[in-house]
Amino acid sequence: MPANDTQGLIRTRRIIYLLVAAAIIVPYVIQMPIPSFHAQEEAHKVYDRVESLPAGSRVLIAMEFDPNCEAELRPMAEGILRHCFARKLVPILVTTNYIAPALISDICQKIAKETGTVSGKDWVFLGYRPGMANVVITMGESIQRTFETDNFSQTTRDMPALAGVNSLKDVSLITVISLGDTVNMWIQYGSDRLKVPLVAGVTAVMAPDLYPYLNTGQVKGILAGLRGAADYELLLHRSDDAAKGMQVQSVAHGLLIALIIGANVRFLFRRAQGKEA
Amino acid sequence: MWYKRTIPLILVFAIGVAAFVQEFVPAPWAGRFRENITLWFQIIGSFALFIGLYSLLHMHWTRIRRQTPGWAYSIFVFLAAGGMIAVGLYNEGKGPIIDVAQGTRTWLDRGYDYLIKPCTATIYSSMAFFMASAAFRTFRARNTAAVLMLVAALVVMFGRVPVSEVLGGWLGDPEMFSRITDVLMKYPNLAAKRAIMMGISLGAIAQSLRILLGVERSYMGGGD
Amino acid sequence: MEPQAQTTESPMRRTVEAAVMIALGTAFVVASILCQKDSLFGKNANDRIEAVGIIIAAALTLIMYSFLYRDNPLFKIAENVYIGAQLGYGAINTWRLALRPQIYNPLALAPSNQALWDALVFRSVPILLGVLLLTRLSRKHGWLSRYSYSMMVGWGAGMTILVMTDTNILQQLQAAAKPIQAGVTADAGWWANAGAVTGALTVLVGTVCVLFYFFFSIPHGPVGQRVSKTGIWFLMLSFGASFGYTAMARISLVIGRMRFLLFEWLKIPQ
Repeated sequence: MPANDTQGLIRTRRIIYLLVAAAIIVPYVIQMPIPSFHAQEEAHKVYDRVESLPAGSRVLIAMEFDPNCEAELRPMAEGILRHCFARKLVPILVTTNYIAPALISDICQKIAKETGTVSGKDWVFLGYRPGMANVVITMGESIQRTFETDNFSQTTRDMPALAGVNSLKDVSLITVISLGDTVNMWIQYGSDRLKVPLVAGVTAVMAPDLYPYLNTGQVKGILAGLRGAADYELLLHRSDDAAKGMQVQSVAHGLLIALIIGANVRFLFRRAQGKEA
Repeated sequence: MWYKRTIPLILVFAIGVAAFVQEFVPAPWAGRFRENITLWFQIIGSFALFIGLYSLLHMHWTRIRRQTPGWAYSIFVFLAAGGMIAVGLYNEGKGPIIDVAQGTRTWLDRGYDYLIKPCTATIYSSMAFFMASAAFRTFRARNTAAVLMLVAALVVMFGRVPVSEVLGGWLGDPEMFSRITDVLMKYPNLAAKRAIMMGISLGAIAQSLRILLGVERSYMGGGD
Repeated sequence: MEPQAQTTESPMRRTVEAAVMIALGTAFVVASILCQKDSLFGKNANDRIEAVGIIIAAALTLIMYSFLYRDNPLFKIAENVYIGAQLGYGAINTWRLALRPQIYNPLALAPSNQALWDALVFRSVPILLGVLLLTRLSRKHGWLSRYSYSMMVGWGAGMTILVMTDTNILQQLQAAAKPIQAGVTADAGWWANAGAVTGALTVLVGTVCVLFYFFFSIPHGPVGQRVSKTGIWFLMLSFGASFGYTAMARISLVIGRMRFLLFEWLKIPQ
């Protein structure tokens, strides 16, 4: 590539970077109002599924994410935990991601403090085990044998949160909050094999891939990305980090759309003039 | 030699067939077999992580030893890894065997929050900038297929943010654009993703059969 | 990653860049002290530690973003610190949450001889296989690790055949082959029912066309080419949707970092 073109390319790139940064910072700094919005159908399905469970039901929450995607998935995890506690459900949390435990422990303790719930009684974080799908298969036979102690080294055998729960078959709902294809693993080895309903909260990148599962009913509902988390906050009548990010998301998407349309209009003009193939 | 290649091949076939068959056996022993063997694999899996750890450290050690360009940066890998392992083992004075009380903020937690979190989250978020720049420079409506892709991308980007409801409201139906996006996701997207999923699955099944039948042997590593 | 700027630039430009770097560094220190002063100079030692932590995290965030301008030594240092810290954390977690509860506790802290014996009987084989796994690091004895890999790979392959067939093929085929009038109900209006039938037909046609496009074993004739082209159009719509969602995801991650910088480091009121 000629030197001039390279310099031009670098300059264009830097301008775009600055525009993207500005599109995200400015709405926060000027405290732009959050536009009103409705929750999407898929988020409603997740909410209704949790809402329909009787008090005391056990909900397995697989927290398959680490700080990479914390911005997208943490608001979802917090929303679902808050909903579970409000409905007096007992969340059983687990992860197969070795970088995740500290983050999940932090989320649990924050929400537990906020709701006045106690580890081991109102919820349990089982922790991490290596082996991915093997962990799900073992849990399908016995949760207590898979996790003899929880993340905080408490023995799980006589834990009130696990009373009456021997295996994954005994939970009322599997909720997977996932940044990658671990959600497929939970569908294949967990919900489909054991016939337990499953809802998923995933990064927006993963969401389009889950529509076949949603269509067949293998996944009962999806929360997709920050918008999915914002929808859930809306359904819980709250406005936390996800909802507060929606005006920024709107501005940033507007910028991207304008950039793409602008570049294409220029391209079409140049093609009409015979300057582009 | 037979014990280096033949036995592992027999083992892979036998375990693979056992994995397949046990699922169709409703007897309690099948459940116990499943439970025990997967517990075994979890224990073996713990060792696997150390192979990854060693490989990475070995790579950086080799860079330092051979003084390849940029070798000095590798020292920071050892410093950070050593620091995290040291604070993890120190464990607020309780050592590696006993856990601190639940809710105690350890130095390992601080290392996680202030070293790992900002780095990993920022690296991933940087892709937004690359993506915006790449879209501006290369996303062109050159032919029908490209136009379809462009339109789908714009529809999703607009339909999934709340501002679309403001524009929809002016046009009489706040959820108009959200519904258009739903149609795109539930029909054409679903059809394509389903076909891709089936194609990938058929590929994975074929690969699994190749492994079980000993055609695919890359998992054995090099050597005789 | 995109191509980086050429480093062969004039000495004048380098001087300007160095001056800007020094100015930005000074601004960072001043901003950090001003915004975190309550915690930094407060009486609570924990608050002081957390404030220093937040400043370090903010510095690492900005250093990581500096790569957008150009690759630089500070970025390389931060990158290697991150790799090392993640390695160390992973090692500690593997000990704390895998090896300790699965091997150390049952063997070293067994409450009775019987419990110790049971643990030994059950765990000796996987421990042996785990140790054999480590021989992969040796050129001479690496073949021993094949026994461990064979078991894990064999189990994985057998299970993959099972679950993929059921979850991703049979259940998907069943849904794809559902009668197109399955969504029609007496309560729904004419338009709603027409929409359901059109939708089901679209999914069926789309799935068949995309699968046909993937099928390269026979040459595509004129009809085949048309079907194949329809498959490409469906794929393009799907890729476009994926692009839109990916843009949404990446922007969300920048939002997360900016929230940290604005509200935790600079403490701008929300």
